[in-house]
Amino acid sequence: MDSNLFPEGTKRCGLAKFMLWMAFPAAILLWGVYAAGQIFYHGIGVTGLDNYFGFGLWITFDLAVIALGAGAFFTGFLKYILKIDQLKNIINLAVVLGFLCYSGAMLILTMDIGQPIRAWFGYWHPNVHSMLTEVIFCITCYCTVLIIEFIPLIFEQKQLNKIPFLHHFAHHLHVNMALFAGIGTFLSTFHQGSLGGMYGVMFGRPYAFREGFFIWPWTFFLFVLSAVGSGPVFTVLVCTLMEKMTGKKLVEYKVKALMGKIAGTMLCVYMFFKIIDTWAWATGYLPSIGLTFEQMFYGNVYGQWLLWTELVLCGIVPAIMLITPSIRNNPTLLYSAAILDCIGVTINRYVFTVQTIAIPVMPFDNWEIYAPNWAEWATTLMICAYGALVLSLCYRYQPMFPQELKLNKK
Amino acid sequence: MGIDRRTFIQLVTGGVVGSLFTPVIWKSLDDASIWSQNWPWIPRLKYGTITEQASVAKFGAAPCAEIVKSVGGSPYLTRGNAENEMSKGGVDPVSASGPQLMYSLSRVNGPMKKTAEGKYESISWEEAEKVLSEKLAAVKGKKGKLAVVSGDTTGTATEVLSGFAAGMGAECYLMPSEEQGAAVALSSMGGKGQIGYDLENSDFVLFVGADAMDSWGSVVRNQCVYSESRPTGEEIKTTYIYAGPFQNSTAAAADRWVPVAPGTGAIFCLGLAYHMLKAGASSSASDFADFKTLVMSRFSPDKVEKATGVAGTEMAAIAKRIMKSSAPVVVAGSEFAQGAGAADVIAASAVNMLLGRINKEGGMKILPELPKAVEAAAGRSELAAKDFVGYLAGIASGKVAAPAVMMSYEANPIYALPQNTALAQAVEKSGFLVSFSTYMDETASEADLIMPNPTCYERFEDAQTPYGVGAAMLAASAPVAEPLYNSKPTVDVVLGVASVLGIDLGYESADEVYQAKAEKAGADWDSLIEGAAYVSDSTESGSIKFAASVLSKAVTMPKGGEIALAPYSKLIIGTPTVAIPPLNVVAISKFELMGKDLMVQVNSKTAKKLGVSEGSKVKLAGAGGECAVRIHINEGVMNDVIAAPLGFGHTAWDAYSSGKGENISKLLTVGTESGTGISVWTSSFVSIA
Amino acid sequence: MQQMEFDTKWTMVVDVDKCTGCGACMVSCQAENNIAPMKEGSNKLKTLTWMLVYELNNGKEFPNREVAYLPRPCMQCGHPACVPVCPVVATTKDEEGGIVSQIYPRCIGCRYCMAACPYHARYFGWLDPVWPGGMDKALSPSTSTRPRGVVEKCNFCHSRLLDARQRARAEGMDPNKLPDGWYQPACLESCPTGAISFGDAKNPEHKVHELIKNPNAFRILESIGMEPQVYYISRRDWVREQSDNVAPGSHAENHAAEGKH
Repeated sequence: MDSNLFPEGTKRCGLAKFMLWMAFPAAILLWGVYAAGQIFYHGIGVTGLDNYFGFGLWITFDLAVIALGAGAFFTGFLKYILKIDQLKNIINLAVVLGFLCYSGAMLILTMDIGQPIRAWFGYWHPNVHSMLTEVIFCITCYCTVLIIEFIPLIFEQKQLNKIPFLHHFAHHLHVNMALFAGIGTFLSTFHQGSLGGMYGVMFGRPYAFREGFFIWPWTFFLFVLSAVGSGPVFTVLVCTLMEKMTGKKLVEYKVKALMGKIAGTMLCVYMFFKIIDTWAWATGYLPSIGLTFEQMFYGNVYGQWLLWTELVLCGIVPAIMLITPSIRNNPTLLYSAAILDCIGVTINRYVFTVQTIAIPVMPFDNWEIYAPNWAEWATTLMICAYGALVLSLCYRYQPMFPQELKLNKK
Repeated sequence: MGIDRRTFIQLVTGGVVGSLFTPVIWKSLDDASIWSQNWPWIPRLKYGTITEQASVAKFGAAPCAEIVKSVGGSPYLTRGNAENEMSKGGVDPVSASGPQLMYSLSRVNGPMKKTAEGKYESISWEEAEKVLSEKLAAVKGKKGKLAVVSGDTTGTATEVLSGFAAGMGAECYLMPSEEQGAAVALSSMGGKGQIGYDLENSDFVLFVGADAMDSWGSVVRNQCVYSESRPTGEEIKTTYIYAGPFQNSTAAAADRWVPVAPGTGAIFCLGLAYHMLKAGASSSASDFADFKTLVMSRFSPDKVEKATGVAGTEMAAIAKRIMKSSAPVVVAGSEFAQGAGAADVIAASAVNMLLGRINKEGGMKILPELPKAVEAAAGRSELAAKDFVGYLAGIASGKVAAPAVMMSYEANPIYALPQNTALAQAVEKSGFLVSFSTYMDETASEADLIMPNPTCYERFEDAQTPYGVGAAMLAASAPVAEPLYNSKPTVDVVLGVASVLGIDLGYESADEVYQAKAEKAGADWDSLIEGAAYVSDSTESGSIKFAASVLSKAVTMPKGGEIALAPYSKLIIGTPTVAIPPLNVVAISKFELMGKDLMVQVNSKTAKKLGVSEGSKVKLAGAGGECAVRIHINEGVMNDVIAAPLGFGHTAWDAYSSGKGENISKLLTVGTESGTGISVWTSSFVSIA
Repeated sequence: MQQMEFDTKWTMVVDVDKCTGCGACMVSCQAENNIAPMKEGSNKLKTLTWMLVYELNNGKEFPNREVAYLPRPCMQCGHPACVPVCPVVATTKDEEGGIVSQIYPRCIGCRYCMAACPYHARYFGWLDPVWPGGMDKALSPSTSTRPRGVVEKCNFCHSRLLDARQRARAEGMDPNKLPDGWYQPACLESCPTGAISFGDAKNPEHKVHELIKNPNAFRILESIGMEPQVYYISRRDWVREQSDNVAPGSHAENHAAEGKH
């Protein structure tokens, strides 16, 4: 029915089947929209956030997707700046994912900030000392860049591309893509670093605070490295998921293994510095303000298992797996390592967001436990559903995977 | 149409620059920032002249002299009136909420009567007064047909009610308070007047039970006196010790907390007396020998330890410490400001007598009553000594006939009485219940006729010698705000009805009564309403005795082996008359109220014994009823004691108090004190399910 | 981050030993600062309490338990954690006296400042404030009402400072050299036990100038170096010991052992 909208020469499932699938994410999306309506109408009081946990699931989610969306800028950097040509086979997906992650994060932020119609104050009344100002600048700019990178992809749709204006528009954007990739890399490196800096500068919060050299450049680069150490494999995972769902080969395994190698290398560098950082923090900084490493953890919710899972199981283990060619070249092991890697970075963002503020700093204060409520889950899942919907549409109607035809020849 | 690179750049740049040059973006951003400051549903501030006026707040359990700040005639904030001797500056957390209580959602807007269907119908004041007059005319002069109860122990309004009751041939009672036991104690000891304590001149204060920082006596004044004795950053001038079952506000503030089992204050005092007598303390009182025999035979250290939980050596050390002080005073009272009977005060007075501290600077004082304004009224101590709880217990058990008419002023008996389930029913048995309440409280909600009294900010008010203060005194205030609703001062209502019924109380309006009171006391009315208190330095002459015969009957050793209830009262949770004020809700401890569940406190040893842990849901059952509560482990509670806050479990009022927690009054067990015959309820035991 | 120094330093000194925990300060604070009443107040993580009284204990079992109450306003830190992190300059420490401001019409409600403050002195308007049934008639003219979605906190009743300066100007005095007692926050005025002292710590004529030098005076979390303008005094060792983290064998403990802060 809609077959003449499909990318040139590709096969897609029937429209009915497609709509049936789309109903699932759409239902979740609607639930999220309802929750968002409640939040905008009544206020953030309808969520599980409170005065101890001003940051919670939303910020964790934002930081995690921004890290995992780093696949876009880093792949773009490698493809357009370092000219690793193989990556052209996955760059489109990386860009779409990056766009989804960043736009999703921005959507979450409109709910998360108490006065969304004042969001632009970050530009009008910027506090140049605040890491968050830098994050606001970079994220909004980079989101614009991602839109610019995403637009030609839309216009390359078979039917749209027949319109000369759109064709030329897309063409010119494409010609300048190296420029945008450069800007994207610059902005992205900055704000990934600043996101780390956001926590690293909180000198009233011993879990996150780092002194002197350990904040700049150390923490900044830890965040950049952890993002580029996980973003590429997240792209691989999404690609693989799409392959499983569609039953088609979309990207050559070689490309995936390359992405894994790139991420693995970055992850190794990251883990090296992260372990030094943790060690210095636990044995140097904490005692200097009268705290112990053990005091940073509490019960099961905020237990040390989180740290060890992040560093060992979801850090060192996937790093080794990804840089070892024999492991990396085994699909199951590559995907397992990728999953561990993504979980690791998510745990990292979670503990920096939630554990940091759960720890009682005043000796007479208490540990408090944060649990997101339905409104936060619904809106967060709404973003995931939004991602699923856009990806499905892109896959069905856009020429995302240059290798699709070649790989699926029977 | 083909576009080349130049066209493309022109298009993009032109688009961006063009839109920046139109006012659309800038205007909408500007508007957005203005909207976000001016949401129509966020109330705007009211500006106007800011005025300050002295007032005597009667929201709290004891009168609080404060300065009320108003803007354009609307009160919005209060602060302590340091110039006024009655409370010496500072406000209690209920009086601090005064303006919010004036604008409370629970205010009764005007007179109402209950219809046949049980609903309330607004009526005019003329009609309300006519209904009341008719009901009263029918019972005038008939004994036992009318009962009047007042929750205001200090106001001259109560004198008016008492005088009116006398004219009707009826009884006027006061709601339970510390004053009742003290009045009976003083008369048992052969004294007249009112007991007070000169805390400010004392160098050693021992509070036995009496929670001076939250419920006993004139709380704000106690707090100020305490504060004056320990200036910040300087040496402590007066040592404070608190003896009681629970580490309450007084224990927290005191230099030392001595855990003493609930309801054993008298035994504790007599245990101290034992050591003092052994050390040679003596007295010239006529029954000293009987007293000494009583104490030495029945209050030896081992027996006292068994009853109170305080070791003999510790008792001896405390006794020694008191005797060493130059101006010590011992103050006894109930841990929750009611139901202690007379024995505690007699026993504490006995210790003060052994120390030679009666009518001495910094000691226990016997204060004169200020002259009455209404001749027909009962005297202060005579009124205080009457046993309202005993009267209601009689009705509940069917021994006494329920009155045809009951009038309730500044009181909420249906909520606040002990053994609440039974006694509230006794109140409801009255043929015709009239409530003068300002608020739609539990009693007003059951009343046949509601005749709302304005708040103390909207009427003339006075207060004489709050219980516990060390000198006779009087304070008064004029309205600080225009009446908000169609309310009428109860004194005016009563004076009007009295004249209809042919009872001459000597006055025509409320302010005349208050002015006359001031005049008779020798105070200057103008300076009173400007915020100064009149203070008399006279004390009652004449000696008092130990009342050994009363003590020997009234003080009995507890059986032991049970779980005792230690209720406590905190002003932040309200008072027996005023439910949790709106602004106080967030200041209530999370260890007292969790959601809608009341938290009661036990220490870890008791918890283990009872098989409960932090947050456990249990049912407490007392002689009078049951309460579903949660457990909070608090090491500041004695072994085998459950401490529980009063003031929760309201069923009327508004969303700030209604349906929160349980009313612990239900668990209180009313008994009779041998020797004096008055009702007591400081010894209540509970079982746990 | 550079630290601003001022000629006046509005300072609160709380005598912990005198606080009975009655809560009058918390009530007055709400009345003065137009904090709307809340129907549910037992979830302390959602309530707005610019002034909050903490209950401390010595951690011992009955009968050795001791309890203390510690009122916590905004610390008005000399080196605030909240000010540098605000992306939109909605909170500043730039006025003579050192009070950390909060500009409600500027705040975007990102709550970064709340995450940064270890004293939990900052609160967020989770829902719209409601004064039902005419209770808005008791609104104070001193503090503007805030919509939901902005961060708010104690500002030492800043409008009272402006009033006191106004009075000084009217009486021909230096508005930056106010006499002791002219400027007092609402919590102090209602406190029945006089636990709160307030004044300019840099002015030798003000009582707090001496009080902060008291050997029993301390600040909370001095080791972190936020330089609060709120001091506490307690004779009780166990209370003072809870003012800061002193892990066994840590530098801070050695530091404390040397008797320095």
